[in-house]
Amino acid sequence: MTSSLLTTNELTKKYKKFTLGPIDLKVETGTAVAIVGANGSGKSTFFRLLMNLIQPNSGSVHVFNQTFGENEAEIKKKIGYAGELLEPFGHLTIRELANFVSFWYPNWDQRYFRYLIKRYQIDDSNKYAKCSKGMKKKVEFILSLTHHPTLLILDEPSAGVDIISQKKMKEDLIQFMEGVNRSLILATHSIDEVKSICDWITVFHEGKIIQAFDKDEIFEKWGRIWVSEVTDEIREHPNVIEVSSSPLQIVTNDLRKLENDLKNEHIQITHVQRLTLEEGLEYLIGTELTAD
Amino acid sequence: MKLPIRVSEESREPIYHQIETQVKSLIVGGQLPPGTPLPSIRVLSNDLQCSVITTRRAYQNLESNGFIKTVQGKGTFVKEIETIKMEETKQKVVIDAFVRAVEQAEQVGCSSEDIRRIFKEVMENKRNGGGL
Repeated sequence: MTSSLLTTNELTKKYKKFTLGPIDLKVETGTAVAIVGANGSGKSTFFRLLMNLIQPNSGSVHVFNQTFGENEAEIKKKIGYAGELLEPFGHLTIRELANFVSFWYPNWDQRYFRYLIKRYQIDDSNKYAKCSKGMKKKVEFILSLTHHPTLLILDEPSAGVDIISQKKMKEDLIQFMEGVNRSLILATHSIDEVKSICDWITVFHEGKIIQAFDKDEIFEKWGRIWVSEVTDEIREHPNVIEVSSSPLQIVTNDLRKLENDLKNEHIQITHVQRLTLEEGLEYLIGTELTAD
Repeated sequence: MKLPIRVSEESREPIYHQIETQVKSLIVGGQLPPGTPLPSIRVLSNDLQCSVITTRRAYQNLESNGFIKTVQGKGTFVKEIETIKMEETKQKVVIDAFVRAVEQAEQVGCSSEDIRRIFKEVMENKRNGGGL
């Protein structure tokens, strides 16, 4: 049940001004992983390494327990990828582009393609290069899904896409995940997508993974506690993330433990609240950055 | 196959436990008779917007406690439960609900007297066919 579909081991790529890695990531079969992080944090470089579009300086990628060296074409038949690969083919119409892409995938589902083209209101007689940014994103998204892959790797699929289509993408991704043993790696800036689609959250910062956790961990462990007073012991407490006033309150990454310790210090708790995913992420990323 | 389950953001209970308790109540309450198929872990996760890690844990606990069974390749189903266990679980569900209510009352500063009074009032109102 918890077999790994994709694994990276100390994956590293060095550029003059930027180093990605070493990245260790495991994607379990049947789970969806969100990759979040600021622009320039290395998400897209990481994706290109995953797809063997660029070569790492060191480290390895295993997909379906194989390396690309062993069996690249076979492995890629089971992967759907969207990440600005189509630009060089801009002179083709979308219909021609689809024909071209379908050639590589024995599982290509032409009926599903027609359905998606209609669903996202795309005129496939248009040249790809002439499409708007959002339209290109939609075409990439459709082409990544049409061969019913097992693993979907999407680099910000909804960026620049209209609201209605974003909602449809979300529905299609949820539907994709409901298939047997499907996995998804999704780079996104949409908290809504993380919330409704993903299981794990991986935070990239300056080329490294600074956090990786189960989405529900924030809800289970983090919280805000309103208190009557704060002692130095509590201020210095390892699980206290922030203390702020009016009214006096503490943000913690271990609600249960802190509640106990507050009781031991005889501090009165007036109210307790869980953090939302948004708040939690903000603190998680924030504390990690100031700790550097 | 949508289950009438809700994850409360206010509750101090872990999410997997909330799911577990609610599925249990549906089973012992008779809304989910033996043999009823349950949604897959993924589908339930999507409904509740929680991670598969959480729902899997809830399903594993339900399975090891004998409430549901997973048939490889077919899905998850409600199991036949013995009458004694059924009664025990019914009691447990009610007790748990009272424990939560009392905790909440204490949190807002109710005394034991207050809680008893409120309980009586609620029961009265119920008997007269109304809510609060």
